[in-house]
Amino acid sequence: MSPMKLCVPGDKLCSTEDCIPGTGVYLRHGYIYSSLAGYVLRKNEGEELPVISVVRETETQLLPDVGAIVTCKVTSINPRFAKVHILYVGSTPLKDRFRGTIRKEDVRATEKDKVETYKSFRPGDIVLAKVISLGDVQSNYLLTTAENELGVVVAHSEAGAQMVPISWCEMQCPRTHAKEFRKVARVQPEYLQA
Amino acid sequence: MATVQVSEAEKVYILHGIRDDLRVDGRSCEDYRHMEIETDVVSNTDGSAKVTLGHTVVLVGIKAEIGKPRPMVPDEGYLEFFVDCSANATPEFEGRGGEELGTELSNTLYKVFNNKRSLDMKSLCISPGEHCWLLYVDVLLLQCDGNLYDAISIAVKAALFNTKIPRVHISADDEGGKEIELSDDPYDCVRINVENVPCIVTLCKVGHRHVVDATLQEKACSVASLIISVTHKGTVTCVRKVGGGSLDPESIFEMTEAGKRVGKALHAPLMKLLQQEESLGKKRQKVGFLG
Amino acid sequence: MPTDNKRVRRPEVSQSPSVFACRPAAVLPAAGPRADGRRRDQVDVRPVFVRCGLVSQAKGSAYIEAGNSKLMCCVYGPRETDRKDETDMKCGRLITDMRFAPFSCPERGSWIQGSEEKDLSLMLQESLRPAVCLHRYPRSQVEVNVMVLENSGSVLSHAITCASLALADAGIEMYDLVLGCSIRQDGASYMVDPTYLEENGCSSGSEDNQGRLTVAFLPSLNQISGLQSDGEMAEETLTAGVRTCIEGCYKLYPVIQQALAKATRKAAPPPSES
Repeated sequence: MSPMKLCVPGDKLCSTEDCIPGTGVYLRHGYIYSSLAGYVLRKNEGEELPVISVVRETETQLLPDVGAIVTCKVTSINPRFAKVHILYVGSTPLKDRFRGTIRKEDVRATEKDKVETYKSFRPGDIVLAKVISLGDVQSNYLLTTAENELGVVVAHSEAGAQMVPISWCEMQCPRTHAKEFRKVARVQPEYLQA
Repeated sequence: MATVQVSEAEKVYILHGIRDDLRVDGRSCEDYRHMEIETDVVSNTDGSAKVTLGHTVVLVGIKAEIGKPRPMVPDEGYLEFFVDCSANATPEFEGRGGEELGTELSNTLYKVFNNKRSLDMKSLCISPGEHCWLLYVDVLLLQCDGNLYDAISIAVKAALFNTKIPRVHISADDEGGKEIELSDDPYDCVRINVENVPCIVTLCKVGHRHVVDATLQEKACSVASLIISVTHKGTVTCVRKVGGGSLDPESIFEMTEAGKRVGKALHAPLMKLLQQEESLGKKRQKVGFLG
Repeated sequence: MPTDNKRVRRPEVSQSPSVFACRPAAVLPAAGPRADGRRRDQVDVRPVFVRCGLVSQAKGSAYIEAGNSKLMCCVYGPRETDRKDETDMKCGRLITDMRFAPFSCPERGSWIQGSEEKDLSLMLQESLRPAVCLHRYPRSQVEVNVMVLENSGSVLSHAITCASLALADAGIEMYDLVLGCSIRQDGASYMVDPTYLEENGCSSGSEDNQGRLTVAFLPSLNQISGLQSDGEMAEETLTAGVRTCIEGCYKLYPVIQQALAKATRKAAPPPSES
């Protein structure tokens, strides 16, 4: 196998007639140029033209984007919203911390008016959420947990033990058997890391 | 900087107009807006000027003070520039908001005057290594309506023309030291030769063409502009690309050429106007700030 | 960083001993070869040494050495903007900061950023911005910090080159690399990539056409992203100078490309799946 071609930003890779632009590239005057320093990768995905992208082994910086599933840690709670720090986008850890907000209305899909943030999250919980908006100038990223698969995945009880989910809205402490309210996620196997 | 929002339709309108050499206010691509210059507007300064260009208003005051020459150039005086972007011009400048733009403008002025010909710095020396004149050139933006660079440079030139530095005599005292004596006659003063002081021309690249003296709307349509300071002989003392875009080499060459042409043509009428105003003396009708 | 002068014991005013030298400041010879053996009127850039990825904490970093000029650059981010009021929803912000180490110039500088450094930072920002795909980083900022360790002339042009390398090393998406080159015009002749002495020394020749010019160039897109000159030059000289600088940038291009490719290869072996 020939060694993979390296490229630097600004290198002309090919014409748009030969390939479909993927990631790490940009279009200009009908040609595809590299926008990263990395390896050129051509992939045939069943379509007529291969997809061309430039990849770096060290994962390129991802930013939370609308629709992305993020893992975050709850930092503070008030009656209207919960503040979180976004730690992962998909399975990529973020190098810098980004702040997000889960508003009361976005905690669950049904009975939105009856949501109480204190019965959904507690500071320190690890939550799976989806980005619904980048927010505006004043606010942070807006997140939602209004799906069965989204919500609290890891939580600790007042006794300090890691709790076990017992329903979609309750978790139990294995030590004291005290029940606490949470918006629990039904974790999908694809999000579970081996 | 003070900016305006321009819609896509407006952009297209402005762009097409400029392509056909007819701008929104009826000017062609290399025309300035209506300009008014008045000198000697603030009596406490040694020289002052107010320039109105469209709705941009700039006030420059020059104060001459005696200081110590810089150690590297003991036989020259020097200039100090300060540009103040006050909250008067736009609320964005409130607090420290105008600071960045102010430093940018004053740094450019230093660059423009960073050569041996613009001003005869040696004439500002009183006694080498000990005393020299330093001219504090303070620029105040009163209103922002685009093209600050050009307005400021013209105002600085007019204020320098207007500057009257009092004459001083150096006499040796008994112990062999030197003493500075200010002339008693308030009309006994030295003028500065401003013949070689350059003016800045800002060229804004809009579409495939460039325009002189862009309004805020036109500026919003452009990604990059080139500022060129040109003397009356056509020599260039400072060039700088400003703005977030890039320019291709050919258009830079076109723009410097246009800048030189426009800048060169600016000096003669300016000097004529300044001399005319000067010759009127006390009879001159003062316009003031609300004129 | 001691910014409180009261706690640092030192005289209020001090001067470098060079001020008291009996000989006048260095004068450039009007003709003949330059002090370091390079020729005038030739696109003779100093050989550069470049390396990427020397600061492990930073997202990307680069070091450049040209003659005695030594600079390093670190890139951090994209991260959330510090100043909430300046968050841009569509486009990221590029923040540049260029500083001289206090010992980098013949005369000692201050730790506090002076107006010259602010000006250089702004020039750096304006030169890099056209090359960075900022629209891919909405509501975040990318920070570029350049530290000049030793100033031996043409620092701005090398800072531009160094910063674009560090950005590429950080994996920030860019339209093109940015290369910098400067010249010193001395009468009818010019010197490419001038040293500190050549940059600041006064000329023994004619008084016409004394100037300095720095160009930032995007080689693949053939665009000029930064241009700055001072001094005094005729328009034709200036135009010729810009052309010379572009030529100088093209000389630098393969070196920078190779350095970046080397760094990319070193950072990660080629991905196996293909």
